[in-house]
This record gives sequence, structure tokens and C-alpha cells, in this order.
Amino acid sequence: MAFINLKSKIIQVKIVYYGPGRGGKTTNLEYIYRKFHQRIKSEMVTVKTHGDRTLFFDFLPFDIGVINGYQIKIQLYTVPGQVKYNATRRLVLRGVDGIVFVADAMAVRREKNIQSLKNLQENLASYKKNLQTIPWVIQYNKMDLVEQGIPIMAVELLEHDLNRQLKRPSFAASALKGTNVVATLKKIISLTVASIRKELL
Amino acid sequence: MADSSNFDPLSTALDRRLNELFREDEPAPATPAAEKPKSSPLAELKKIVLSIDWEITPEALDSFSDQVRLLKGVYQGDKVIAVFLQVLGSLGQYIKSSRSKVHPSTFNVLNSVFARLDEIVSTPKMPPATRRKLLQAEMDAYQGLRAKITQRRTAEPAAKPTVAIDTAVRTQAPASGPVTPEMLARAVAELKEFIRTEMNALRQLVKVAARRE
Repeated sequence: MAFINLKSKIIQVKIVYYGPGRGGKTTNLEYIYRKFHQRIKSEMVTVKTHGDRTLFFDFLPFDIGVINGYQIKIQLYTVPGQVKYNATRRLVLRGVDGIVFVADAMAVRREKNIQSLKNLQENLASYKKNLQTIPWVIQYNKMDLVEQGIPIMAVELLEHDLNRQLKRPSFAASALKGTNVVATLKKIISLTVASIRKELL
Repeated sequence: MADSSNFDPLSTALDRRLNELFREDEPAPATPAAEKPKSSPLAELKKIVLSIDWEITPEALDSFSDQVRLLKGVYQGDKVIAVFLQVLGSLGQYIKSSRSKVHPSTFNVLNSVFARLDEIVSTPKMPPATRRKLLQAEMDAYQGLRAKITQRRTAEPAAKPTVAIDTAVRTQAPASGPVTPEMLARAVAELKEFIRTEMNALRQLVKVAARRE
């Protein structure tokens, strides 16, 4: 549930970029930060565990201003994708309001996408949340690799694997080039704020 | 989940605000921090080093080797940079052959060597003495790591022979047969020889670099 301060009229929205390791979650945040750094007036923070080489998570907070009397603050997080860091992933998911599932469109990553989505479902269940009710979108990342002759899954196949039941908004994207990074972000913010508002009413 | 509130005032106001904030029709104001990685010849290598820091995958290690090889060609006239790249190449090779058994300090050394190389590359007017000093510091760290690896490899076979053998060596053993002490000894000897050869080559390069600068 989002942090909502009715007195000061502030809504804090937590959005987590989830997905398999090296799928492009951080690249999404890096693109947003690089492109809109001065407009969103924020710093991207990368947190590392102590005495460990592993990245803990990336964090990009920014304000989108006052909308209908409420100041809306967005917090974007990524999780480490590797299988072994599930405890970290679960921790980052605490209090999540919206999710961007970043799937890797490379053909060799098909199984990892499916495993990661399953892992997301399991971790959400530990907070009594599920993919049927939480706002989330799917991004099929690395579509640009087809230009380099790297085998990429067709969107239809990705949809069949990951989105055939819930039919969430999905975006064929290239986080590296910025294709549909912003569209993904806008969509998840809209859906999440709408969902929070519905809960408030 | 709902997309049905598209036409209510809040959604409309929110969409308008998001469109203002994240409009892509004009280039975002450039920031030095954002531009630096793009303009650096090491940008791609940096990305790969960060990837390896995040997760060691065969793809990342292959890209790392390819990128180091490419940069060696670019900087073949600069002996200090060539030595840095040689060290990075050796570290990459070691990580690739050892994978999960890699010494934990390796990543600190890798990041440190890369950071110093980045510093040198991005400071074209750096005095030769400073460059050599930076190189020497990283060489010391690399040698320290090499000593730790050798120490660990010679210490571990006696206690836990099957764990100590590295992945690359293990793949050379018959798939179904046990690891014999002779095989272990041969593997350790090969490794020592490999490190010795690498270090001799690096020492030669450092000497040449020192003479030329």
C-alpha cells in the first residue's frame, strides 16, 4: 500500500522493476535518469551490500508535482535478478504499489523469464499480494538485438509465455536505446496512481 | 485492474503532467555525468565490468575478452594502457576459468584496475610519472591477488581436493573418473606456469613502458 499522508496531501508510490538477471532493469532506470535528470531534479542511487560485490538495488525517486491537490512522489526500484538473491528481491517488494516486469527478449532467456515471473508471484504472495490485483505491465526488452543477428523471441511468443492469462499492457522495448522506456514508465505510473485512488475511495 | 479511469480529472491531469515531464520530442539538457560514459572509449568495457560485478555469465566474460582485445588494438601505441589491458585480460581469463571458485578479492582488483585505467584514459594530459605510479599501484594489487590465489590453491588440495580444483581444470578430467592426486598436482603446476608466464609478460611490458616514458 502506498504511503499516503492525508494531512499534508502527499502520496508516495513505490514501483519496482522486476525480471531476470541482466534483462535491462537497471538500464531502464539509467535511461530515465540520463534523459530526464534535469527535469526530474533527482539523483539515482545504487545501493551495494557491505563487504559484498552484489548490487542490492537501484533507486530513483522523483516528484511529479501536485495533481488534484495531492503531491505525488514516485520511487522507482530495481531488484537484483540473480536467482540466489531472492531474499533481497522479496525485501525490495515490500510495500510495492506497481511493477514493471522486464523480460529479456533473447531466445536463450525464455526459461529465465518464465522462472522470474513465477518467482515474482511467489514473492508477492508472501505479502498477500498477487498479479491479478496489483498494477503491473510487461516490457519485452532488448528488441534492438535483432539488428545484430541475435535470435529474439517474437512478441506473440513472449505474450504467450508471460501474458496470455492476465493480458497486461505490454511494450516491445530497447532500454539501451530508450525505445518505449518512457511509455512503460508512464503506463505503470498511471495504472498505479489510478489503483491507489480506487483504494482510497 | 483498471484502465477505466482514463477520463476522470485526476487521470487526465496526471497524464498531462507525465507528458510534460517525460516528453521526448526534444533532447534533454545534457549533463556532464550523463555524457561522460558515452564519449569515453571505455564506455562499453565499463558496462561489461559492471555486468560482471552484478552477475558472472559466460556472455559477459566473452564480451569482456572481446572488448579488451579491441582496446588493445586501439591503444597499442600506449604501453601503460596496454599493461592495464593485459592485467584486465588476465583477470577476465582467471574469472572465466574459475567461475564460482574465483577468489573474492578478484572483483575488487578488477574494479580498481578498471577505475585507474578509466582515470588515465579520461585524463590525456596526465604526467607520465603519475601514470606509472597508478600502474605500479595496480600491479602491486594484482600481484597480491596472484599470491593469494596461489596460496589458496596450494593449501586447499590437501584438505579438500575435489573442491579446490577449478572448473576449467575439472572439465579436462574424465567425466566419470575420480580426481587423482596426480591430476591435481598437474593442474596446480599448469596454473602456476600460466601465472608465471603472465607475470613475466607484464613485467616486460612495465619495463618497456617505463623506458619509453
